[in-house]
Amino acid sequence: MSVSMSRPGDDRVPAEIVTSVFYSATVSDNLAIVVAEMVAGRARVSWGNAGAVELLGYGLDDLRTLPVEHLFPSLGRGELRLLLRRERSARMTLPVRTASGAAVEALVTTTPSPSGRMWTVRIVSTSNELERALRATADAHERRFSALTERSPVPTLLSEQGMRLAHVNDAFCSLVGRRAEQLLGTGWLDAVHGDDLDTVVEQVSAALDGQEVEAQVRLLREDGSVRTTVMRFAHLFTPGVGAGFVGTIEDITDRLAFEATLAHQANHDPLTGLPNRTLLARYVADRFVPGAGTLACLFLDLDNFKVVNDSLGHTAGDELLTEVADRLRSVVRPGDLVARFGGDEFVVVCEDVDQPAAVALAERITAELARPVRLGGVDVRPHASVGVTVQTGEHAGAEELIRDCDIAMYQAKAGGKGRITVLDQRAREQARDKLRLVAELRDAIERREVTLLYQPIFSTDDGRPVAVESLARWTHADRGPISPAVFVPLAEESGLVAALGLLVLDETCRQLAEWDRVLGPAAPPRANVNVSALQLDANLPAQVAHALARHALDPSRISVEITESALMKDPDSARLVLHALRELGVEVAIDDFGTGYSSLAYLRHLPVDCLKVDRSFVAELAHGHTEIASAVIALARSLDLRTVAEGVETAEQAAELGRLGATYLQGFALGQPMTGADAATWFATHGESTR
Amino acid sequence: MTVTPLPPRGEAAPVFDLGKVLAGIDTMAAQRPVAAQIVSVANSDDTSAKVLSRILASDVALAGRVMKLANSAYFGMRGRVTSLQFAVTVVGFTTVRTMATVALTELDDESRLPEDFWEVTTCLALASSVLAPRFGERSQDALCVGLLAQMGAALLHHDDPEGYGALVAEHPGFAARRSAELHRYGINSVRLTAVALEQWGFPHAMTNRLNQVDDAASVEGGLLRAAFEVAARLTRDDHEAEPVTRLTCGQLREDDLVPVLDQVRADADELRRAMLGD
Repeated sequence: MSVSMSRPGDDRVPAEIVTSVFYSATVSDNLAIVVAEMVAGRARVSWGNAGAVELLGYGLDDLRTLPVEHLFPSLGRGELRLLLRRERSARMTLPVRTASGAAVEALVTTTPSPSGRMWTVRIVSTSNELERALRATADAHERRFSALTERSPVPTLLSEQGMRLAHVNDAFCSLVGRRAEQLLGTGWLDAVHGDDLDTVVEQVSAALDGQEVEAQVRLLREDGSVRTTVMRFAHLFTPGVGAGFVGTIEDITDRLAFEATLAHQANHDPLTGLPNRTLLARYVADRFVPGAGTLACLFLDLDNFKVVNDSLGHTAGDELLTEVADRLRSVVRPGDLVARFGGDEFVVVCEDVDQPAAVALAERITAELARPVRLGGVDVRPHASVGVTVQTGEHAGAEELIRDCDIAMYQAKAGGKGRITVLDQRAREQARDKLRLVAELRDAIERREVTLLYQPIFSTDDGRPVAVESLARWTHADRGPISPAVFVPLAEESGLVAALGLLVLDETCRQLAEWDRVLGPAAPPRANVNVSALQLDANLPAQVAHALARHALDPSRISVEITESALMKDPDSARLVLHALRELGVEVAIDDFGTGYSSLAYLRHLPVDCLKVDRSFVAELAHGHTEIASAVIALARSLDLRTVAEGVETAEQAAELGRLGATYLQGFALGQPMTGADAATWFATHGESTR
Repeated sequence: MTVTPLPPRGEAAPVFDLGKVLAGIDTMAAQRPVAAQIVSVANSDDTSAKVLSRILASDVALAGRVMKLANSAYFGMRGRVTSLQFAVTVVGFTTVRTMATVALTELDDESRLPEDFWEVTTCLALASSVLAPRFGERSQDALCVGLLAQMGAALLHHDDPEGYGALVAEHPGFAARRSAELHRYGINSVRLTAVALEQWGFPHAMTNRLNQVDDAASVEGGLLRAAFEVAARLTRDDHEAEPVTRLTCGQLREDDLVPVLDQVRADADELRRAMLGD
């Protein structure tokens, strides 16, 4: 740019100022510079550059006579001295009046000359085009950002300084049900649940420190309701101002409620709403302190629930269970847990009670339950057998406590229904003993220490042995022989019956094969194997087939004996299993016939070869009562079935049974149970050409 | 400088050397170099909490006040601020600078201040801060403007204790007092604050709010006018309330002031203690 001087060499403009003007002028085209001078106690403009002429709109001549205060209308009386200071430079942002009278906002910097009577005044307009454009762009950014957050459905907080909010959007206001002005500054902290306030402050501190953090925080709505949220905080830095944060909030109340519902469903019985077995186990485990606890468990089993289900239907059964659950809930103490253990079994857990208090609660429960319930038009009085256990020093784990009250309940049931039984020391020892026996039985089966004896079965016609029945025997190392009447039910209760059954089946087949090898044609033609009700499922035919195949035996060598009561447990599936066995070529006999409640019509359709007349009917023969044995044998004949009379203990009984038409005889008088080796010897003598 | 006793009305203005008053501030700055350094660097765009806290650490009294303020209810940090750097982050650079300015101009020495100075100042600051969003202003900046607005009054008082004391007694209303100040000193106290702050490089956006306080048509000036009104209602029993709608060019209604008065009353004492390091 060029600088024109109207009077070059004017002595009122010192050389250093001219130099400074030239220097400054080359620095910026936007710079307007005037020189002010005190003349007769009044500050006047004595010179101006082209930038000043252009900015202020005065001709240079007019400018040179202008009082300085005229340029700065906003300076009050006397304030010009603040701008034109003798001892130092000064700076102000203020409006500058142009020739047209318009005011231009400008940054004015004054520098005094050493004499203190003259000042260089630099005027930089702050409202030039570039600045306006920059400000407009910044404003547009600001508006876009605020529109974005304002209309965003994501609740958003914006702090520009520490915890203090400068901005909240509508979504956050709706979330907490408060107005923006209530939330700005630190007001938003009133919407944070008191217990979560420390967490929020901690997280905001981390965000202010530059981290990105999140926390689960409960927010209080103005109406008092609570929303659970995840608050995420990100660092926000404004140069020259400091650190703040942006917070976004996700309302997870509904999601948590849904998850809680799922968790509730996993831990509660849908019918009664009571805690289920899983929750019970956890509840007791959480409160169980070995040796120091005072927990008590009550195990309830409804008596005759099956009768209600079978006679009045499952809906009535469900109604009864719901009613029982309600009564249990109402009768226990606050804080006691009532759980549905399964089926018609319930467990109550109490803390800080002794045995008399636990029994008293059990009595209250049975009394409450005994009130009649109307189901399907019938009044039913629910009774329960209750087992009670109070924690002792001997309970090593929570599960032992529940197991003990289960045992106590079974004892109550066994002692007659509707009773309350406390599991005392003796009963507990018995139960422990039983547990030990179960463990030993498991070992005995694994080691094949359960052995078989074989009792011959004879043809009535010619007295020849036609078969043997395999009988399992267990001789305990310490306890001596243990009756099958003890260990077979034990195996059934403890899930060992499948293994025991397989052992008997396999050992019988192995023995048959060995007899074949040793005795040839004199070997027993067939062996009868007893099958428990619990083995009577779809796996049985395959297990029999495998055992036969393993020992290369013909299926006709095996007869499966199933008790009448086992068949009647689930007659339909039993019939399918029997058919499958028959298809294999295996014979099927019904054991203990006449002691159960079989439907004769049903019996006609079962694929059965033989009925075994129960030993109780055979025993009656000795007292002249032939009626039942005779009827059973006659029934079998009319259905074209063979019969085996069990428990024949005298020759008279044998003769009588022969007269009644029994096909086969089995009993102590005719042939005792023998080991496999003894049986081989016996058959070598008695059984030549038995087949 | 020459100060004449307060003249009767209508008399000529007294001789009052503003330049000397401002120069006096420079002398004060020399006595509080740390505060002066903070005033000069705090506004720079490339400053950081780390830089500021490092400088601040050399002035134990000032650092203590910043810590106290950061943990005050106003900032909502519930005592979590344990480091100076974090305290600077929490209160913000402008506030740190404001506190340094308070120290620099000896506003923390109540014996040298007009009566009720801090009582009024804390009300002004908190009212400005609370009302700022209604005027589209940042609360933090408004707090700082409020804290410093009376600095000019302190300077006038310092320079002319008797004369200024009499002036205050005669003009308890803030607006009337500013007119009297202008009449007596050629400049009113708020304007004097603005000039001094501008001299130290405080942003024009801040100083301009001070300049606009007596422009009745200025909406921006309405914030400080409303803050003065809140301060008057809270600190003076004999104050006759002025309609806030008129003071704020319609930005506020009387109803809006009710929660503000409560909030200011609740927080004022703590802010005063933090600022003075009591």
